[in-house]
Amino acid sequence: MASILYPLASLSQIEKTPSREDGIPEDLEEDLRAYGCKLIHQAGILLKQKQVAVAAAQILFQRFWFVSSMKQFGVGDVGMGALYLASKLEECPLRMRDLINVYDLLLQRASHSLSSKSDQDFRYHPMSYFGSTFYELKDALVLSEMQILKRLGFNVHVVLPYGTLISYLRILGLDKNTEACTRAWGYLNDAHQTPVYALYQIPTIICAAIYLTAMHLQIPLPASSPLSWWELFDTNEEDVLSVSGHIMRLYRERTAEERRRVVGLVTKKEVRRWLEENMTASK
Amino acid sequence: MSLESGPSTPSKRRSKWEEYVEEDLPHISHLKRRIKHKPSKEVEESQEVAHPTPNNLTPTFKPLHSIFVPARTRHPPILPSRSVYSYERLNQIEEGSYGVVFRARDKKTGDIVALKKLKLDEEKNGFPITALREIYALMSCRHDNVVGIREVVVGDTLTQDLKTSNLLMNNRGTIKVADFGLARRYGDPVGVGGMTQLVVTLWYRAPEILLGATTYSTAIDLWSVGCIFAELLLKEPLFQAQGELELISMIFKLLGPPTKQSWPDYSSLPLAKTISLPSPQPHQFRQKFPYLTSVGLDLLMSLLTYDPEQRISAEEALQHPYFSESPLPKHPDMFGSFPSAAAGEKRRKPYESPTAPRGANYGVLDEMQ
Repeated sequence: MASILYPLASLSQIEKTPSREDGIPEDLEEDLRAYGCKLIHQAGILLKQKQVAVAAAQILFQRFWFVSSMKQFGVGDVGMGALYLASKLEECPLRMRDLINVYDLLLQRASHSLSSKSDQDFRYHPMSYFGSTFYELKDALVLSEMQILKRLGFNVHVVLPYGTLISYLRILGLDKNTEACTRAWGYLNDAHQTPVYALYQIPTIICAAIYLTAMHLQIPLPASSPLSWWELFDTNEEDVLSVSGHIMRLYRERTAEERRRVVGLVTKKEVRRWLEENMTASK
Repeated sequence: MSLESGPSTPSKRRSKWEEYVEEDLPHISHLKRRIKHKPSKEVEESQEVAHPTPNNLTPTFKPLHSIFVPARTRHPPILPSRSVYSYERLNQIEEGSYGVVFRARDKKTGDIVALKKLKLDEEKNGFPITALREIYALMSCRHDNVVGIREVVVGDTLTQDLKTSNLLMNNRGTIKVADFGLARRYGDPVGVGGMTQLVVTLWYRAPEILLGATTYSTAIDLWSVGCIFAELLLKEPLFQAQGELELISMIFKLLGPPTKQSWPDYSSLPLAKTISLPSPQPHQFRQKFPYLTSVGLDLLMSLLTYDPEQRISAEEALQHPYFSESPLPKHPDMFGSFPSAAAGEKRRKPYESPTAPRGANYGVLDEMQ
C-alpha cells in the first residue's frame, strides 16, 4: 500500500514555488524546468542509460523545484545530480566521470549555440587534463546529489506510468492500435518535462496522455459527462484537462529570444544576474 | 514522516532504544540521516489498537475510488529533512565500518531513538548506494519486527544480510531485523551483469552464492534463517568458517556433498568445476543437533537445503508443524524481560548466595597451625 503513496507537491507548494518567491516568472520557471529535463534526457541517451533511470531522474528533478529555488541551484547541476542518483536507485549506476564528460559536452554545445559563432559547426573541446573543470563539475555533482536527497527528505520513491498505460490501453481496446500506443507513450515521456509527475497521480497523467492521443487521432471514446471513460480510472475531467494543458504548452512555439533566454540560464549564477538586471529594469 | 505504522513491540512496557534507528552522515555536505522507529507513544498506542497502517486516516466512504488509487490527499507532501540538531546525542551504542550508532533524544518530543551516522569521508561515488537501498527498504517495509525508519535527518557537518548480529532484541524479548544495507528491490529485471555475489555475511551465505550464481532469489534469505535457527539451538554460529572454501567444506560435511537428487543444477554453477566433491556421505544433522525434535530437525533441514528450488519458502516455513508442536510459541507479552543494556540498567543479583559455614574451615586452619 505504501508503495503507491509517492510524494506529491502540497497545495501551498504549488501555489508559490520557491523560484517564484524569488521573483522568477512562472513561464521562465516552466521553460527552465523543461530545459533541465531535456538535458537529463540527452545525457541519458548519450550514456545509453535505461529509460527508467532517466524518467525517475526527471521526476526527482521536478519535485526538487517545489522545495528549492532556481536562484539557489542551477538546473544543469541539479539535473546531473538527479540522473546520477536515479541511476543508483534503479540499480544501473553511472560512472561519475562519464556523466561529467557528457554534461560538459552538453553545456559546451549549449553555450556554443549562444555565441557569435553559432552559425559554425559545433566542435567539442575535451576538458584539459590539468584543468579544474572536472573537479568543479564533480563537486557540483556530489553536492547536488546530496541536496536532492536532503531536500526531498530522502523520500525518493518514484512510480513510473508505463506499465499502467498498457493496462489502460488494453481496457479501452486500443492496445492493437500501434499509432495510438506510440503516441500515448510519447506524451507520457514528454510529460516528464513538465511538473505533472510531482503534481498529479499517475492514473490522471495516463488519462491525459490517452485523451490527447484520442483527440489527435480522432478516436471516439465514451465521454459524456458525468460518466466519461476516465471515471473508470479514478480521474476527473478537470485534472485531465489540466495535465493535457501542461503537456501541450511544451509544444508551443518559442520565440528565438525565449529559447536563448533559457539556454543562458542553466547555472544559478546566470539566473542571479538575470534577476538583478530584470529587477532593476522593472523598478 | 508520520507514516510510522509498525509499533515495534506489542507490549506496553518497552525500552525505547530500538524504536528509532537514525542515520546521520557527517561529510562533504554534512548529512545526517536518522531512521527511527516509532513516533510518539500516543500514536503508537492508537495504532496498536487499530490497524497498524496509515489507512485509518482515510475517510471511510469513497465508493468511486479504486483501492489502487488512493485519494490525492493521502500522498505525502515533498518534505525536506530536518536538521540533525533536532536530536540530542546521548551515548554511543556501536561503531562499525558503515558508521556509528548513537542513542539520541528528540529535543521536541523527548523520544529516544537510535541515530545512525554514516561515514561518508571514504565515499568516492557520492552517496553510497548501499545506504540508499537501506533507506528505501526501511521506508517501504514497515513491520512490527523490522526496525522502522522514522526519518532521515541531515546535519550541517554533513540486508540481504540476515545474521544474528543484525537482529536486535529489546528488553522485552521482541526481535527486530536491522541493517538493510544490502537489501535490494527484488523482482525488477536486473541489468546484464546480474546481481553481485558479494552478498550476505560469509557464515550465513547460501551455497548457490558461494558457487558463483549471479541470479538468486529470496531463497538465500531462507538459508540465512536456517543458519540463525541452528545458531539459536547451538548457542554459537553454525558455520564459523574463515573463508569461502572452508565454509563450503563445512556445509558439505553437515549436509553431505550435493548429489544429482539434492541439487540438480549444481554442475551448471560457475564455480562447481573448480571444486572436487568429496565422496558421498550421509548428512550429520542428527549428530549435530541431538536434542532437537524430529519435526524441528525437518524444518532445519528444509531451510538448509542445497537446491534453492527445493528449499522451503518463508510462507511454507511459517506453516511448518514445528510451530504447532509443544512447546508452542509464546505470545510476545509473555516473553521474559531482562534489563535494557542501552538504558544502562543492570541485572540485579537475585540474592547473595550463602557462603559455606565458617565453622567448617576452622578445622582446616587448626590442622595447619
